[in-house]
Amino acid sequence: MEFKLEAHRIVSISLGKIYNSRVQRGGIKLHKNLLVSLVLRSARQVYLSDPCPGLYLAGPAGTPAPPPQQPGEPAAGPPAGWGEPPPPAARAAWPEPERPAVPDAPWVGGAEPTATVTGAADAPQGRAADAAEAAWGRVEGPREAAARGAGSPAGGSDAFPEAPQAARRPCACPSGGEDRRGAAAASPGADRRCAPPPSADESPAPPAVCPRKRGAAGVGGGPAGCPAPGSTPLKKPRRNLEEQPGREEDDGAEEMETGNVANLISIFGSSFSGLLRKSSGGGREEEEGEESGPEAAEPGQICCDKPVLRDMNPWSTAIVAF
Amino acid sequence: CGLLCLAASSQHGVLRDHPGVPSTADIISTVEFNYSGDLLATGDKGGRVVIFQREQENKSRPHSRGEYNVYSTFQSHEPEFDYLKSLEIEEKINKIRWLPQQNAAHFLLSTNDKTIKLWKISERDKRAEGYNLKDEDGRLRDPFRITALRVPILKPMDLMVEASPRRIFANAHTYHINSISVNSDHETYLSADDLRINLWHLEITDRSFNIVDMKPANMEELAEVITAAEFHPHQCNVLVYSSSKGTVRLCDMRSSALCDRHSKFFEEPEDPSSRSFFSEIISSISDVKFSHSGRYMMTRDYLSVKVWDLNMESRPVETHQVHEYLRSKLCSLYENDCIFDKFECCWNGSDSAIMTGSYNNFFRMFDRNARRDVTLEASRENSKPRASLKPRKVCTGGKRKKDEISVDSLDFNKKILHTAWHPLENIIAVAATNNLYIFQDKVN
Repeated sequence: MEFKLEAHRIVSISLGKIYNSRVQRGGIKLHKNLLVSLVLRSARQVYLSDPCPGLYLAGPAGTPAPPPQQPGEPAAGPPAGWGEPPPPAARAAWPEPERPAVPDAPWVGGAEPTATVTGAADAPQGRAADAAEAAWGRVEGPREAAARGAGSPAGGSDAFPEAPQAARRPCACPSGGEDRRGAAAASPGADRRCAPPPSADESPAPPAVCPRKRGAAGVGGGPAGCPAPGSTPLKKPRRNLEEQPGREEDDGAEEMETGNVANLISIFGSSFSGLLRKSSGGGREEEEGEESGPEAAEPGQICCDKPVLRDMNPWSTAIVAF
Repeated sequence: CGLLCLAASSQHGVLRDHPGVPSTADIISTVEFNYSGDLLATGDKGGRVVIFQREQENKSRPHSRGEYNVYSTFQSHEPEFDYLKSLEIEEKINKIRWLPQQNAAHFLLSTNDKTIKLWKISERDKRAEGYNLKDEDGRLRDPFRITALRVPILKPMDLMVEASPRRIFANAHTYHINSISVNSDHETYLSADDLRINLWHLEITDRSFNIVDMKPANMEELAEVITAAEFHPHQCNVLVYSSSKGTVRLCDMRSSALCDRHSKFFEEPEDPSSRSFFSEIISSISDVKFSHSGRYMMTRDYLSVKVWDLNMESRPVETHQVHEYLRSKLCSLYENDCIFDKFECCWNGSDSAIMTGSYNNFFRMFDRNARRDVTLEASRENSKPRASLKPRKVCTGGKRKKDEISVDSLDFNKKILHTAWHPLENIIAVAATNNLYIFQDKVN
């Protein structure tokens, strides 16, 4: 339990550092922000992988083996490198900003340091956001769980891919009926509460549009308008692996859902109450960030669609504002 | 070796308006001896360069030999604003590197985050007098008044040291410059930022070659950045650069124009038992320095310095713990940002000793041959002229002995990031925030 608190504390400290780096003189320091994002990712992995009954968890993290818990040395497990198939949450949650094809001329590429930070920071932040949003996803869970066929994956890795979409579209989430149709679909995840199949997680597709249609389509290929890369065979085996443990946890956690959702949000929310209710300047910055698109005036600010943002809970809004 | 405090701390910012209250601009950000050791250059956060010169031997003042006094002060860089990105460019001097002396003047390169400048420091101690067309004040004389011609003669004047910028190497770096290094050919030099290394010719300012590019096609996949780079002291085609992942790559410019593929890759396998949230941060290398011989190189990460044999890539030949007692405090150091401090390291002239800084104004010296190390403190109380420095000790646990300092009472605001060792003698320069200390080995 103390590892979770420690990890949570480190997550909030890290996010604070990234936030403060925006106002530092001399511009955003790429090196420092890279290191902070690595810590953020490790802390979040530990946070999510620590099976603690007190707080709701979305199942083990993407790593196949839960890291051993040693006192004072929470092992983050093999960290997913940046170079790996990008963390699904990152891509799914934050569609890539429009990046003009920039020849690497010195000043023209200058937007990149800050964009980089956002990019680099986004992935772990996306994951962090998913922890809270996984809770939202869970709320929809029971209906789909009942609808799930035998072959469908359980909650193991559902924390990342499905959660964001679920959070964003709690109302738009297709009813259980629609998902039942998708339950038999080959692509895993399509049946889960309006989540796109895992293959789509790696695409920078605007997630707001996808889930609904995908549920209807039921297949990983996705409808037009939701570009989905080719099948990713890697994903499937991983899900099957996590199916068993995740499923158990999922079933066990269902009863505690609503209580823990509030719990989780209050914990994360309180950490960021300072950020959200910052001076008017800070608050204004966040609004500006939300409203301007990828071509934001503030460098590296936003890479999310507007409609997506409005549906998020305040905590992930704070992260997006980075 | 007993270290004698030779020059009582010469306050770097003594010319500032508020000597009692150190301003941020006075914080020393780089220290570097020139090739002969007679000149010592310091750069600060305010963009100023102060050069100290060693006093020559003087029979009437036998003890004055070895004292460093201010030789020249000039403003190297000013704060700038990048209108395109709405970013301020700090004037802080990140690095100074001297060029080998070729004539009476001295040349050095100084750089901030974006722009490198070549400065010429020259002396003027003579002045021409007796002009025909103008009088001593410089006013033009009335031609009708000139009745005779004379030849102007040179008369001595008070020594004046002038610094003038001879070259400005700008607009070549998208990211923040962290290193510059003069090549052994004395014609080219490299500059490194977080993702790229450029090769310059000292005479050409409008062009540079990019020789290393670590920028990934997709910035979201960024995994490591360049933290330091240096040319080999003798082989003009060899350079090394360190990364935030704790690795060092050695590149040979003869193999290809773009040195993205390294010739050697130095990495020590991580000890899995010591893994923590901050493993990646503390393994990031903050400085890399070749030995004078060119056979070894030294890397500094947060807790240790490692000496590598260039012929062995698998692991260092020596590892010296600088302040291992901080390993259990990493979370606090992360909170107060100290974990991001970039400590430098340096060799002595004979490569038999290495030195690096720590907190509480402590610095550490490691004698490689005798396998001994010592912790010393740079502070006003301990630095009376000609007083010996007393070794310090940090108490890591248990009962604190007299004269020991406990880990919890260390002052983490007093950090020694920059040190330099005279290339030939046992004289060291230690920068403690805004103060510069110069210590010399005791000579009996």
